[in-house]
Amino acid sequence: MRPTQILAKGRSAWKGPYFVPFSGLREALTNHESITTQARSCTILPSFVGVRFLVHNGKDYTPVLVTQDMVGHKLGEFSFTKKNFSFKYVFYPFIFRLMLIENI
Amino acid sequence: MVHVLGINLPDGHVVKFALTKIYGVGPHIANRLCARLQVHDKCKVKDLSPFQVTSLASFLSSPTTSPPLPRLPLASPDFTPPPSTISTQELQARFNEQLKQRTIKSTDPLRNLKIESELRREIRENIAHQRMIGSYVGRRHAMHLPVRGQNTQNNAKTARKLNRLERN
Repeated sequence: MRPTQILAKGRSAWKGPYFVPFSGLREALTNHESITTQARSCTILPSFVGVRFLVHNGKDYTPVLVTQDMVGHKLGEFSFTKKNFSFKYVFYPFIFRLMLIENI
Repeated sequence: MVHVLGINLPDGHVVKFALTKIYGVGPHIANRLCARLQVHDKCKVKDLSPFQVTSLASFLSSPTTSPPLPRLPLASPDFTPPPSTISTQELQARFNEQLKQRTIKSTDPLRNLKIESELRREIRENIAHQRMIGSYVGRRHAMHLPVRGQNTQNNAKTARKLNRLERN
């Protein structure tokens, strides 16, 4: 088994993993700056370890700190696109509630 | 009733279906195991010889350390038999020499077979890895929800049953 096959699951081995060459990678490592990106499908390479990314989730950019264990995953896996569901709770002030009850 | 690794295989079942009772052995691997043990297609569990049962148990307990399968190649199409004047011992010696020269890589598909507790542990570790790095997959497992984008408005019953951090 080739090492590339482990890295690129389900993708042809000759293509290798899909990644985006970020230009400011070295500066980001040294200056602890974060890289803003929309490339959610970019595979995390070993050279990305320690870099802070701001990954787009469709609405805004969420911070992702790359660790050693994340290598081989995609950037988008760590930037969630869905909110947790919760029932809407509308808070009415006390007087307003009294008025509502009196109307009924 | 035959017990293999603490799993009992019912007597009346056909071997290749009975083997699928083992966690991690499906119809495909069951067929391969049968071929390895030279169990015929319609053999039932009660018809297994004691040797086959012991070899099955020894193979399943440690597939990686099991002895490799003997590979005796068939004759090529342009094979001409040697003249009958040569003695059988000499023929045997030649054959053994040829065998030594051949270096076949072991391509045993059952070598990396994982069953029962070993497989369960592997699955648990994979989920724990996803959870530890904080990926979407790990989060969905922790929430008992489908991982691969299935609908959750209704049902999602399998996910609710299976998607746990600690699988039973």
